[in-house]
Amino acid sequence: MAENIESNPFVDVSVYLFFEDISDKQGVEGFTNYMVGQAQSLAKSVPEEEYETWDDFASAVVSGESVFSSFESIEQISKCGFVTNICPFSKAIREYIKRIGNFNPVHIEATDHYNHTIQPSAAHSACMMHQTYRREVAKRITVGGKPLQYAQIGAKAYTGEIALPPESWKKVLLEKAGISETQGFMEMRENSCLYLLYVEG
Amino acid sequence: MMDIAIYSLVDDMVSKAGTEGVVEYWLRVGESYAERMGKEAYVGWPAFNVAMKEGRTSLTVEGEVNVLTDLAIIDKDGDVIGYVYALKTCPMAPTMRRYISRIGPIPDSDTDVADSYNNRIRDSAVSNYCITHQKFREVAANNITVAKQALECLQLANKGMTGDVKMVPENLARINVDERHIKSILRSASCVFALIVKGKSAGEEIIE
Repeated sequence: MAENIESNPFVDVSVYLFFEDISDKQGVEGFTNYMVGQAQSLAKSVPEEEYETWDDFASAVVSGESVFSSFESIEQISKCGFVTNICPFSKAIREYIKRIGNFNPVHIEATDHYNHTIQPSAAHSACMMHQTYRREVAKRITVGGKPLQYAQIGAKAYTGEIALPPESWKKVLLEKAGISETQGFMEMRENSCLYLLYVEG
Repeated sequence: MMDIAIYSLVDDMVSKAGTEGVVEYWLRVGESYAERMGKEAYVGWPAFNVAMKEGRTSLTVEGEVNVLTDLAIIDKDGDVIGYVYALKTCPMAPTMRRYISRIGPIPDSDTDVADSYNNRIRDSAVSNYCITHQKFREVAANNITVAKQALECLQLANKGMTGDVKMVPENLARINVDERHIKSILRSASCVFALIVKGKSAGEEIIE
């Protein structure tokens, strides 16, 4: 497991404020675009990875050795189903609330914007960055020569609200992850994020 | 993870708004962060320094601060007008270490933005984050009163990841502290600043 270096919450909070300042100048769309864009850039900066087998990849992810788990602690709950127990943004969110109060409403507006224009999977503005990072970083990983695929199933906000995909998608994703809907809800009670990782064929 | 976003965000912003635009964004963030922390009042310097040591002031949200009470700043009448403080660890240090370990070298845009600030505003940034951090301190200090007098923060010196040091000679002169003394403090700190009664300076008249 790589060394875990904790960030200083002073910095975390200032990045939220940076995005809020962007929204003052460029609106919710600018906020969303910057959050998504910088996550894409970040993912493009990480080194590429290749694994021979699915078990090699899953083991690297769970032990924190893959770039996929650089910023979060991931558990495998089925062959293709994975969960993140603690949202890597939760500390920054808590510190923001503790230091400066309620979240600026632009975070909810941007989350809605993302859910309506990109995909309905974000529970908080930070999910936009996190899910984009995961999606883009998956493109840099191959397992058995095939590119890794990622699909978000559930995300829980600090308020307890859970973002889930539309029913038709949810059924397919859960089936592919090899877990039932009840198991999915049980996982979301214990974890902050549930997602599917797989390779085609 | 939010902190790691800084580097890719700044990289993106530089390509869209230029280094000057990013400097302006960071200055506004520092200001709004400090304004949103609210105002504070202390009956005197001992009460304020205890609060600094215990991490209860808005200025200590950035991390643990050494209160150098042996470096009291005195005005021409012999009254204490402030003290020197040393931030032990730069708040960006863990983020930099994590970025280098997980992603790779710090992007050039970090230095480009810092240089833009150093050339146009004040030569005191060793990384792009110093811009918002120093602005935060300046505004936060203005929102604090000690014995009913508003404070002013003077940036004195800071040290970058590679050991490069920035000093602000005009501020050192204003509190009449020798550069070598501040360098010795920087051996075990990342940033040194003074908090003084607004408008005052050591041994001289009030600066308007």
